[in-house]
Amino acid sequence: MSGDVNRDSNRSGAFVVSEGRRKMQKAARTAGESILLLIASFVAIVVLFIFYFVAVDAVPYFQQRGFAEFFTSSNWYPAGDPGEFGALAIIYGTGMVTLGSALLAVPMGIAAAVCLSDILPFSVRQYAKPVIEMLAAIPSVAFGFFALVILAPLLQTSGGPMLMWVWWILAGPFLLLAVIVGSDLLTAGIEEPVRRKRYATMLQVLFTLLAFLVLYVVGSQLNGMQILTGTNALNVSIILSFMALPTIVSVAEDSLQSVGRELREGSYALGATRAETLVKTVLPAASSGILAAVILGIMRSLGETMVVWMASGNSSHIPDPWYNYLEAVRTLTATIAGDMGEADQVTGSARYHVLFAMGLLLLVISFISNLISERIVVRQRKILSGQ
Amino acid sequence: MNLGTRKILDRSFTALGIGSIVVMALALLIVITPIIYNGLGAVFFKGTIEHRKLLYNEFHRGDGAELEREIAEVAVYRDQAYRMLADFELELEGMDPEKAREYRMQYGPVKTALQTLLGPPPGDDSAILTRFRYGQTRWEKAEEKLHALLYESKWDYSDPDVMAKEYFVRRAESFEGTKLAPMFGFVEKNAEKMLLPRFTLYWGFLTDSSIDAHIFGGIWPEIQGTFFLAIGAMLFAFPLGVVAAIYFTEYAKDGVFTSMLRSANSTLAGVPSIVFGLFGLAFFINTLNVSESKSVLAGALTLAIMILPTIIRAAEEAILAVPKTYKEASLGLGSTKWNTIVTVILPAALPGIITGGVISLGRAAGETAPIIFTAAVSVGSAIGIADVLSSPTPALSWNIYNLASEHEAAAEIRHVQYGMVLALVSIVLLLNLSAVLLRARISKKLKG
Amino acid sequence: MLALAALMLMGTEVSAAGNGIVIDGSTTVGPIAKSFAAYFTKRYGVPVTVSESGSGNGAKSLINGACDIAAMSRDMKTQEIAAARKKGIQPVAHVAALDGIAIVVHPSNPVRGLTKAQIAGIYQGRYTNWREVGGPNSRIVVIQRESNSGTQESFKTLVTGKAVPIMPRAESQASNGAVKSRVSTTPSAIGFIGMGFLDSSVRAVPVDGVKPSVASIRSGTYKLSRKLYFYTSGQPTGSIKQFLALPSTADGRRIISELGFISQ
Repeated sequence: MSGDVNRDSNRSGAFVVSEGRRKMQKAARTAGESILLLIASFVAIVVLFIFYFVAVDAVPYFQQRGFAEFFTSSNWYPAGDPGEFGALAIIYGTGMVTLGSALLAVPMGIAAAVCLSDILPFSVRQYAKPVIEMLAAIPSVAFGFFALVILAPLLQTSGGPMLMWVWWILAGPFLLLAVIVGSDLLTAGIEEPVRRKRYATMLQVLFTLLAFLVLYVVGSQLNGMQILTGTNALNVSIILSFMALPTIVSVAEDSLQSVGRELREGSYALGATRAETLVKTVLPAASSGILAAVILGIMRSLGETMVVWMASGNSSHIPDPWYNYLEAVRTLTATIAGDMGEADQVTGSARYHVLFAMGLLLLVISFISNLISERIVVRQRKILSGQ
Repeated sequence: MNLGTRKILDRSFTALGIGSIVVMALALLIVITPIIYNGLGAVFFKGTIEHRKLLYNEFHRGDGAELEREIAEVAVYRDQAYRMLADFELELEGMDPEKAREYRMQYGPVKTALQTLLGPPPGDDSAILTRFRYGQTRWEKAEEKLHALLYESKWDYSDPDVMAKEYFVRRAESFEGTKLAPMFGFVEKNAEKMLLPRFTLYWGFLTDSSIDAHIFGGIWPEIQGTFFLAIGAMLFAFPLGVVAAIYFTEYAKDGVFTSMLRSANSTLAGVPSIVFGLFGLAFFINTLNVSESKSVLAGALTLAIMILPTIIRAAEEAILAVPKTYKEASLGLGSTKWNTIVTVILPAALPGIITGGVISLGRAAGETAPIIFTAAVSVGSAIGIADVLSSPTPALSWNIYNLASEHEAAAEIRHVQYGMVLALVSIVLLLNLSAVLLRARISKKLKG
Repeated sequence: MLALAALMLMGTEVSAAGNGIVIDGSTTVGPIAKSFAAYFTKRYGVPVTVSESGSGNGAKSLINGACDIAAMSRDMKTQEIAAARKKGIQPVAHVAALDGIAIVVHPSNPVRGLTKAQIAGIYQGRYTNWREVGGPNSRIVVIQRESNSGTQESFKTLVTGKAVPIMPRAESQASNGAVKSRVSTTPSAIGFIGMGFLDSSVRAVPVDGVKPSVASIRSGTYKLSRKLYFYTSGQPTGSIKQFLALPSTADGRRIISELGFISQ
């Protein structure tokens, strides 16, 4: 670190610094740097501590009860005598709401990121970004309050019609698009233009009728649906997707931005439309960064406590049938928050330690996904800078 | 594929992207609008004379003489209503006991409903809970209670095979021919004169403490607790975070150790918030015993750990954004590295660092899960600054949960819950907004 | 770091000398505790904080010395007492009030009444449709409490017994208030709450033909009732003693009955 040394005083003979003084300076510098290092490693120490303290309280559970029950049984009777601690249903519930939120947030998030980075003019983008940041900043308890007080009763009283409208609005345009593209693709083989056009029109009419039939049948099914309980996996998935969106959008957008202009320009030069350029060239190039964005977004849903605690219904069973999002579920985070009450740690019961086991499970999952997403980002950076 | 279809696909792709952003904006709007609308209702509402009485008696605010005059004004009508009640009670005495018993059964709820609406009759000081000492303080609640007084809600259980439908019966009909019957019409007609609803601006909602478990009063203890926790977390995390950022940007050499430290940072950023709560409980309270039980200190320390990675990241970015020439000029002039950092780099990076700090402050204020086991209580008065080391505190985030899902009268105090949510959301969003503005100013400056 | 350590040390010192009363525990006793707290603070100027984290948590806090009074809606368990003794704490029970556990349904539910066996059957998953217990054809949405709840423990002792557990399909709510608001917004729901939480938004179903009321609980004809306790560590002194005397004062009895509980 010769850069820090005051060169002037070293070189000029007029200010000869005594050997002792120089040593002291050096020692002070070393000491200073070690303090800096110590503070910088504080985070690492904290991470180790978190792992250690959560693990120390989690291990007794596994010692007492082994691994099999926790992961394979869904009998969750912590208050029973003797208690049963099958967390399978709870792990399943966690996975269910996380998957649900990802299904909603990932396509929307990627589309929004693409739109922000490539479609919107800069002036609009300036206003769109703060909106996203605001969505990210809203405290989770406010979302939970919304889910519990507004969304849950709404789902109960008019969930069916609501779902129907959402279905019409979302599926309608997609099906129409599919009609156009489908008929176009099917008639692509026909050489003669007039005949092709006639066939295409016929197919379009046919498909449109079919699409409307599908829309109508599914829509009326949804319309007639009675949602018994508004605090369910669907409710939570919707709200969690709102919360995961900002993370996905901002990370995915960064990675789209880092794909250079050259790629895009090359694609345009070959005559591709913007959509084709984005789908065939830009998105694949940014895919690893987008994957990292997805992982981070999923992590956000997985680790969220308040929304799921307030609005998931907290019933520890695997829904019947297994994909029924209209049933109440229970998640790891909500179980920790809700069950800590009976955590009689003084008796060292499995009941207290099982919550730490859940915490450890969450911690390990988040640690691994973090490592993966980090690796992905680093690799992408290397690839892109290598090009 | 023909060109037309490709164009349509291109357009719909654009529409999909814009649609997603619109959906996000809508999501924000849908969540925020009811919160703002109903939350403002906690401060701006039609307050009745009961509200002014409460303020005068409990907080010693308002114009006493004016209140006296108003009380006299409503007394004219209230007395008539209470007299009808008294007359009816006399009438009951003289009635055939069998019939009187039947009337009494129905009379009880009427009396309760009237007292819920107007408060206890003059001279009756027996109620101890504040909630029973006043009538309805808010006009829209008063209208609900008026409806409950006038109509009896009944359910048609005649067919046990279907869910019953609710229907309303005018209570006046059950008392047809008695001296009570005219009371219903009288109260219905003169409700406004009995309660004198008037547009009210209740800033005290933000600065008063709560009365009778948040049924009346404000949310100051919660606001204060939120500030204590967030600022406390900042006090620990900000210096640590900035120093760590300096190390990472200026001193750290590329290597396994540094990359491990960085990896630790992003790991910490990804830890679920409830796990911080577990850690805070196991480490700060059970192991270190920073306090006997939940305390602001334990909560602030837990929150500090949670926001540390955000601060480090923001500070790193801010330091890296300082043009290299600044540093080189300073070093070239012969100042030491540490000196350069303190006098040149940090001042230049300060706005960026503060931006990150402000955002983290918002995050610390809004989090609930880490403070459940470490700092939050459901009811308590505002604590003094001297008590932060040992006392737990109510805090907005926790009390929103508590009031919305644990309070015995959760449905009656929705306005308080909305008010709290709005207060919390505004604190957090204002902090974020100032961070955004700050950042905009910096980028303008950097562009020149 | 040094400052941090110093702060931590100070923290322990200050809290050891802490004043005021700290109450933790049952959400059922919560309204009583909160109202007593407000009354007590106003009357004697002693600050009282109330956490409602469940009976189990209250016991835990008392054993750890984290609170002065544990509000509990059930008796302290033998393990808890043993754990307390190990830490040199002698828990003393003070009865705060009597409370009935009301079985509640949505007001639109026409079911006339339920027997204890039927209720147990519903919670254990033997009956899944209201039709099977004399109601309309609708799936039963079963609401229970979190495991830290004393009401839940009392309910299990009084109704379902320990042998067959409550089915996991049942939704868990964190508090009496939450159960009430879930039941009042869900036509086919059933739940159980403390008597003090009853209002017109839900309907209390007669159990074995007896409606929960002050009279039927005092006389013991309504079977689902229990005592609510304030536990202290050793015999209380000073302001805590003053606080614990509240349930037997005239004002205290009045508060209890205003809240819908039954004073002893």
